[in-house]
Amino acid sequence: MPAFGEDIFFATVTELNARLRAREFSARELAQAFYERLAKLGPNYNALALRLRERAIRHAGDVDNEFKRERFRSPLQGVPFAVKDLLTVAGHPTTWGARPYAGQVFDYDATVVKKLERSGAILVGKLAMVELAGGGGYRYAAASMTGPGLNPWDITRWSGGSSSGSGSAVAAGLVPYAIGSETSGSILTPAAYCGVTGLRPTYGLVSRAGAMALSWTMDKIGPMCRTAEDCGLVLQAISGKDNLDPASAGKSYYYVPQYAREFKHLRVGWAAVDVEEWADEPLRPVFRQAFETVREIGMSLREVVLPDLPYGMVTSTIISAEGSAVFEPLIASGKVDMLDDEKQIAGLKAGLEILAKDYLKAMRIRTRVQEEFRKLFLDVDVLLTPTRLNVATPVSEPLDAPRPERKPAPKSRGLRDLIPAGNLAGLPALSLPCGFVDGLPVAICLVGRPFTENTLLAIGREYQNRTDWHRRRPRV
Amino acid sequence: MKARLTRRKAAAALLTVPGMLAQAPTQAPASEREQLLTTARKQARSTSEKLAAYEIPMATEPAFQFRA
Repeated sequence: MPAFGEDIFFATVTELNARLRAREFSARELAQAFYERLAKLGPNYNALALRLRERAIRHAGDVDNEFKRERFRSPLQGVPFAVKDLLTVAGHPTTWGARPYAGQVFDYDATVVKKLERSGAILVGKLAMVELAGGGGYRYAAASMTGPGLNPWDITRWSGGSSSGSGSAVAAGLVPYAIGSETSGSILTPAAYCGVTGLRPTYGLVSRAGAMALSWTMDKIGPMCRTAEDCGLVLQAISGKDNLDPASAGKSYYYVPQYAREFKHLRVGWAAVDVEEWADEPLRPVFRQAFETVREIGMSLREVVLPDLPYGMVTSTIISAEGSAVFEPLIASGKVDMLDDEKQIAGLKAGLEILAKDYLKAMRIRTRVQEEFRKLFLDVDVLLTPTRLNVATPVSEPLDAPRPERKPAPKSRGLRDLIPAGNLAGLPALSLPCGFVDGLPVAICLVGRPFTENTLLAIGREYQNRTDWHRRRPRV
Repeated sequence: MKARLTRRKAAAALLTVPGMLAQAPTQAPASEREQLLTTARKQARSTSEKLAAYEIPMATEPAFQFRA
């Protein structure tokens, strides 16, 4: 077996696939190498939920036979990947990161897993997550049966949630890409904290069949990769109509950034207050530089502000009501008390008491949110904002600790609530690493109209052609 | 042969185990659990009051048939 070095473990999907096709190494050798690395280093970051050696090696052998016959399926063929442990893999535990479900086994594969394997991708394991994707609201990073997600850039910091293992595994070169999920921030946050590229697809574009439900009207599944290009290639493989998901939009996606609108015709909405007042002070120069790079791509930037709507409250009411309904049997059985995070236990129980009028009010305001975004997107094509206003938090710090008050108070809300707002409207978003502060990654986020992933990815690709933040590697 | 574990060695070992850096999952006492539940309920009530104060036209329907 060839000796695999860091150039392989941190290579992109395209690079790995090209080397596989050139027969520099076999899919089996590559799968074995990534499997061993994931098994050995994954526990250092509490990133590993399940090893899948036999399945990986068997499937990689099949792919090698295809390569021999020059049967090329897709750019993902022979490239290893891992999935968040909320997706089913037939015959293996799917724990949802939660002790009450430690022994849970399904007899079918999630649609996303099926689609990726059909593309020739090699599943090598499942990755840790915040228990139940954090639906009840959690206080500590340790809200997971595998322990707190640790950040490969600094293991005293959190990797973000709830796709914690997906973020840290990609960042540490344990897998070339991973699948995460987002209800409100669970792809974007770990992508930003871990310095990887994360794509939250439009609601309905990727099937959730076989995924744990937290909020039927807000859950989305998406890729976490090294580059925007890789996100496009993975999205192409996992998107599309699926009768097993009632929310499936019935749309396919093809990664064709070359056919996206010319940059000079794109109008980017941003808010200076996000960078100059809301962001933590040490991050501001990084964001200024990143926004300047976006401007240099040739797009016009114009100031916008999110309409004054209670995005946070609406999001929490919807997730809480739907999440507690999903887990009602768990709560009723008393097994909810086995969860690791006390605040999450309380949140799930209290969520069962949310009144119908409150849920309906939240859903009616949500309609307004969608209308307001439609208006906003008449003036701009894309929104640009810091993904997170801070770097990864210390792993032992309570996540609900109030952020230091901004003095004087910022002049406007800017785009500060774009994570809950964008999730309420089901909009696609792309997080791109844009620098470092104190050795920790910082990221910007692009948000577009529904089903404009190619526009976001075209901008992301161009941004990454001009910068090398996504190429930086932590010392593992 | 068993190695002698000094307090210093134990402390050093704990610091090198990443998972130990976080809070260990220990079950909170019943009173604390009750307190957290009370806080969560209060929070939900407060949110409910704020949402109720938010005026919205009667014709605005809930996003039931949700499509992005």
